[in-house]
Amino acid sequence: MVDALQEAHRILVPHGVFVDARPDSRVPARVRARTARGRVIGTIGTQRPTKTDDQLSDRAVHEVVRRKIFRSRRHGRLWHAIPFEDSAELNDYLRDHLRFSRRVEWSVSAARRATPLFVERAVRFEILEKL
Amino acid sequence: MRCFPAQVSGTASAGRILPGGLGFLRPPAEIELAAYGLDLRGLRVADIGAGEGRLALGAARDAASVLAIDPDRGALARGRAEARRQGLPNVKFSEGAAQSLRLPDASFDVVIFSWTL
Repeated sequence: MVDALQEAHRILVPHGVFVDARPDSRVPARVRARTARGRVIGTIGTQRPTKTDDQLSDRAVHEVVRRKIFRSRRHGRLWHAIPFEDSAELNDYLRDHLRFSRRVEWSVSAARRATPLFVERAVRFEILEKL
Repeated sequence: MRCFPAQVSGTASAGRILPGGLGFLRPPAEIELAAYGLDLRGLRVADIGAGEGRLALGAARDAASVLAIDPDRGALARGRAEARRQGLPNVKFSEGAAQSLRLPDASFDVVIFSWTL
């Protein structure tokens, strides 16, 4: 990962901008009922190996900042909502997903899982400047 | 760099939560690029790990040129077709991997790794 960041550094002009954006596995995805702004009725975590990969990516970014080849200029997070007809469609989606846990941690009973469902997940980004 | 001093400060928007797009498995380019808060007008952009060019095509609407790099030839072909469909001649698709880019030194103003690291 540090190799990739060094390549990005190499092809950038002086003070060029590097953007790193990734799903934020530190924050569980939220399952909302009825609308993208509806009540949160469940959460979805991240698979452990993916979380480990994300931590390695974080360390790689920290490393290039520590080495002073980049400096962090700004960071933030956006939330992205994905709609599903119902829990069956959501379960199908999760079955083969490479990042999400295979199952939803529901906070309401099955009878109260109003549909449609919206999975709202966090995407974090960091803007760095080449030094 | 024009896009930096004008649009970005060290503390601006840190941790701010922005609305995501709806109806896509990944955020639409315009939402994600707007969140970055960069002014890409007139700049040379490299999108590394571009896949089918979701972000590259979005960036090409403002940037002077965009190079989308990905190891997946099928995805690149779909990206090229979409660029033609959208009439974006300033975006190119090229096969490559993030850790060994066959590109000249200091040839881009902005490099994007989205879902890449």
